[in-house]
Amino acid sequence: MGPDISHHPLQGADGSVTFSSNLCSILAAANGPVEVQRRDELPEEAAVEVNIRPPSGVSGPRERWLESVVAAVLRSVLHLHMHPRTLVQITLQITKAPSSTLKGAIRDVALLPSLINASFLALLDGGLPLRSTVAAVFLAVVGMGEVREDPSEKELAGCKSVHGLAYNNHGDLLLSESSGSFDLAEWENIADQAEETCRAAMAPLDEDGVVMKGTMSSGPWLRQELTDKAQAAVAWREAT
Amino acid sequence: MAAAMVLLPGENIPTERLPKPKKGKLTLGPGLQHTPPSTISATTAGSLQVDHRKAALWLEDAGGRYQPSVGDLVIAQIHHSSVETYSCALTPHTSFAILGQLAFEGVSKKTRPQLKAADIVYARVSKASKWEDVEIECFNSATGKAEGMGQLKGGMVFDVRPAFARRLMMGTDKEGVSKGGVVLLEEVGGKVKFEVAVGRNGKVWVDSGSVRETVMIGQLLRGADEGGWDVEGQRKAVKKALRDV
Repeated sequence: MGPDISHHPLQGADGSVTFSSNLCSILAAANGPVEVQRRDELPEEAAVEVNIRPPSGVSGPRERWLESVVAAVLRSVLHLHMHPRTLVQITLQITKAPSSTLKGAIRDVALLPSLINASFLALLDGGLPLRSTVAAVFLAVVGMGEVREDPSEKELAGCKSVHGLAYNNHGDLLLSESSGSFDLAEWENIADQAEETCRAAMAPLDEDGVVMKGTMSSGPWLRQELTDKAQAAVAWREAT
Repeated sequence: MAAAMVLLPGENIPTERLPKPKKGKLTLGPGLQHTPPSTISATTAGSLQVDHRKAALWLEDAGGRYQPSVGDLVIAQIHHSSVETYSCALTPHTSFAILGQLAFEGVSKKTRPQLKAADIVYARVSKASKWEDVEIECFNSATGKAEGMGQLKGGMVFDVRPAFARRLMMGTDKEGVSKGGVVLLEEVGGKVKFEVAVGRNGKVWVDSGSVRETVMIGQLLRGADEGGWDVEGQRKAVKKALRDV
């Protein structure tokens, strides 16, 4: 169900995760709260630094833009005031990117939801204090106005527009990036669908911890992952 | 027994789960935050643990860097000394904690211990706030006694996760059963003589007769932490390791 996630693959970082969707794979590492350079320190909150590395080649303006978007979203999610004058550092290595048939803005928008999901899971693995839970989804409008969620590259061929949106569990919209041709009515429709998917990703499980009815293919993947992880952490308590 | 409730960040605790304290005071542990007047929300993903007797709640979570809090016993490494204090590291890449040069049992300006860089001490966190530097001391300032704190000479320090260090420090209940589910050190102690000190910041200091025994104990600790061995698994691993020593 949902994306492919593995927890804590790196021993050296405070928190790390590998996250794979239909289009890309990301290895995310989070460190913090650590010491900050004097020039970057903020008097009342933690500074947030995001580093994005492409799968090949050197990072450039494209990665700088992605970093600024991801950092803005994470600033709304982290409890920055709990650790003033420290640094929260997130490094995102794109291990598998969409092939070169996807170009320009479409490729960037396609990467954003996976980057956000991977960063959130890495921050959580690292035990950093968070204000809310966030889920991001990538939607594409193909052919005759049909909306596909987390499409594969084949499904993306000839799409009219692509959208990356993220919602938190208080219903706030944290990310909205789009590319292609669409009108406002179409965007509102997309936003409603994205909100429903993100809400479903965080929906409570039923009593057996089994997947509840999901309108989308992914169901409550975020809730399931985090519940399994939390229960594994207290497995020793059940044993004694 | 039903599994404990798992909360995601930003979720509030339903009021029926809150313990009813006699004195009307609730203690919040790690992972929870209070928003006045009466909302308690989670700041991480973890399972909710409630202690009705102490009217305390917290979220149990395996991950994360150690955050100093007052009263914790930690293993600190001296980085450098200045006029009246030593600057010590509790965790890598964070600001130094301050240890006063006179913060030891029964010392005066003439008779204080001369600690050098890279020396290890067992200390107690005396001040921890988000606005100031962390301060530690090597004696209990209330009683004036060392209580096992001070310089740790020789031996070797191993890294474990702070959550595992907490389990090691949990002690035993009335029947002598380990509350944290870790029996490693008792099992090994039956055959091998060693000294151990556990720091809540994820460091364990071990000093045994020989290097081989010290390294064996360190490897067992790391195995139990990363492998998540249960009590039976720990006993088996100890038996296997002791055969080789």
